[in-house]
Amino acid sequence: LIFVSFQTVCRQLNSTLWLNVGGRSIHSSAVCCKNRAARIRVGKGDRPVTYEQALHPHQIAHRKGWLSQHTSNLQGEDGAADRTVEDLFIRRLIYGTFHGCLADELVIKRRGNLLVICALMLQKLPPHKYYFLVGYTEELLSHFYKCPVKMEIQMLEEKSVYKYL
Amino acid sequence: MASSYTHVGRQIHRATKLVRRDVKDALQRRYFGLGSATFQQPAATVSGSAEEIVIPRKKTWNKEAVLQALASTVNRDPTASHYVFQDDSYLTPRTSAEFKLYSLAQESGRTAAKYFINTYPKYFQKDFANPHIPCLMPETLELQVNEVSEAALIERIQLRKVKAAVDMYDQLLQAGTPVSLDLTNDLLDLISLYGDCDPARGDAPEQRTEEMGEEQEDVKRRKGMPQKASDFLRLVWRENNNAERIFNMMPERNRRSYGALIRGMVKHGAYSKAFNTYTDLLNNRLTGDVHIFNALISAAPEVREKYVEKWDLIVDLLKQMAEQKVKPTLLTFNAVLKALRRCGSLGRTQAFPVINEMKALGIAPSLATYDHVLGIFYKAATSAQGHTEILQDVLSEISGKSFTAQDPDDVEFFKDAMRICLATKDIEQAYRVHSLLGVGENWKLLGDSYYQSIYYGRFFNLLCMMEHIDVVLKWYKELIPSLYYPNSQGMRDLLQALDTDNRLDLIPQIWKDIKRMGHDNKTELVEEMLSLMARENQIPEVQQSFADCALDVKALYTQTDRRVPLSWSAGSLSSITSILLAAERTQQAWEMLKLFKLANRVPSESLMNQFLESVKASNNAQQAVELVQISASFCLSITPNLMERVQQEFDLTEEQRNTLSDLESSTAMSD
Repeated sequence: LIFVSFQTVCRQLNSTLWLNVGGRSIHSSAVCCKNRAARIRVGKGDRPVTYEQALHPHQIAHRKGWLSQHTSNLQGEDGAADRTVEDLFIRRLIYGTFHGCLADELVIKRRGNLLVICALMLQKLPPHKYYFLVGYTEELLSHFYKCPVKMEIQMLEEKSVYKYL
Repeated sequence: MASSYTHVGRQIHRATKLVRRDVKDALQRRYFGLGSATFQQPAATVSGSAEEIVIPRKKTWNKEAVLQALASTVNRDPTASHYVFQDDSYLTPRTSAEFKLYSLAQESGRTAAKYFINTYPKYFQKDFANPHIPCLMPETLELQVNEVSEAALIERIQLRKVKAAVDMYDQLLQAGTPVSLDLTNDLLDLISLYGDCDPARGDAPEQRTEEMGEEQEDVKRRKGMPQKASDFLRLVWRENNNAERIFNMMPERNRRSYGALIRGMVKHGAYSKAFNTYTDLLNNRLTGDVHIFNALISAAPEVREKYVEKWDLIVDLLKQMAEQKVKPTLLTFNAVLKALRRCGSLGRTQAFPVINEMKALGIAPSLATYDHVLGIFYKAATSAQGHTEILQDVLSEISGKSFTAQDPDDVEFFKDAMRICLATKDIEQAYRVHSLLGVGENWKLLGDSYYQSIYYGRFFNLLCMMEHIDVVLKWYKELIPSLYYPNSQGMRDLLQALDTDNRLDLIPQIWKDIKRMGHDNKTELVEEMLSLMARENQIPEVQQSFADCALDVKALYTQTDRRVPLSWSAGSLSSITSILLAAERTQQAWEMLKLFKLANRVPSESLMNQFLESVKASNNAQQAVELVQISASFCLSITPNLMERVQQEFDLTEEQRNTLSDLESSTAMSD
């Protein structure tokens, strides 16, 4: 009871700011400290969810691994922001190129100069189409990032469900 | 003391370096220590004096020692597919058609990406690679310079745009600007190389223009042979084409101009014209160069008919070469040997003097040289004639040597050598040829996937013929399917080998491989396999596995879901039925009998007898009567015999006796 109303009260407090049209006062309320990043909330129980999606980010390094592996977060290394932006670009590009075929998030590894994109895909297209898209992506990304890019694909029959939330 | 040690150490170092160079290629994989570390140990370490402690010199490793050590632990993985494919069972090709399809699909993906990169280069210009990687930058394939100038001509020549270059040249001449001799020579080279036709661009869509259509009409298209695209179009040197026209217009010509024309003519088939141009060259008091002579020598067999005349022409050309002080190269000698292949018996006498000449000049032969020698001595028609040991001699000479690609005909060596081994049925030499592939860089000279399939096909054929089944199976696991996808003839050879060595129990496993490779729609292969299984009775476990296999095959004949099913023949039906009977699956065997009627095929008499035996074993009189009825319906001559035996050996009820006597009378009447 109490926390449901707490949440709605917060929202109402925040929304009441705009109802005070005449006055110009600062109104502060208690902050609603709720983490919402990369979590799927428990629902009815009919939504299938993979292992990656089911575990929350605080489980990284406990029950989860990293999706993007590079050394720029070590002491004295730079370029972390560039790597992150590259990762985002690559994820979107591959999500669009292999639309509907991805079974799970990409894992991007950097070994020296080489950029390895490890993807889990569903068996939706015949294999020669997958090879076409792989050749296309590798070539395009190599030319874009000026480094060799390799894709390693594993095929699944269907998405592996960890639990239903 | 120290100085003598260092002196000895240096001697040892030099000696090990010499030894290392020789054994490096052969032993690099295993004894990486020899290649990557330099031992600076003095020789006399522990000779006698136990009190003297000799501290060995520090071992230095080269930078790749760790990688070489790791590489030596990894041999080729025969269960993995080709390295260009993804390592996943859904994406691994299982037949040679899939292999080609997937690799071509990947390549076309790459060309699609290159098309986008070159069409929108502004997104790919940011260069943060340090050091700069030029192959990852977009290429400019479109013409930049558009005004009539020499720079535009240079650009068109560099981008290999033949027609545009010729147009630009004509415009320059019309405008009156003189074009330099070197540039004109470059233009002539371009036209002669491409035969006055624009080379097909990889990523541009195919443009069928009218000129292309004309040339393709009179060119024989070789369908079904996965050759390179350039082989499909054999361009012909047209009369008075642009090269000749420009050549005639040139105010002054030098040796390079003549050379471009002659080489173009020889490449595109105008051989006698090439010789005429050469005479022009001599009349203008110029001398030829080595490329001109190479081209003329390779054209010599085309312009003369008799062997002696051909050889005389070649000798004449070589003499002129010596007079004009042109030094012959490897390509010259290879051209001579290639021409000698077309000189019949004269080739055999002249081949060795040519090779001795080559060695006297210090030119190391390439694989193409040996290929031509083998071609001279082993003609296709004469298989076992002439006790030539040339193949052994050639292999002894080149064993352990690593060759590089110096002549376009180098790639023919391995498949031709294997063809000779197959024709002479010499398995020892075949092993030597195969081991030569493992030396150094020789694997690069095996050729593209088509040549590889020919080579491995011949090798496997020879193995199946000559070797024991265990050796054959070892090679089967090693070669197939990682290196080679056998065709149905190869699988039949394997079945023959199994039959020869009496290992028919392996047939169900081979059947699985046949299905995987997509040869299960080849009727001869399937029928041969079935007849091998049905020929004799086997021990019970083997018989059961045969029965399962036979049922699997039967499913192929009846399924209609995805592809055209095979059509029944009497042989295949009988084989499957007898296999099922021998495995005591009588119910399914009876179903097969009904299939005979449906497929309009007649069962054989031995099959009927086999049925009778099995029915007797189960002592089912009703089935016996049915058997006789079926036999009568096919009007088999064995029917009366069967009837007699059934009447004698079975206890029949009254009804059954009546049926039998009816049948007897009906068959007697029809006789």
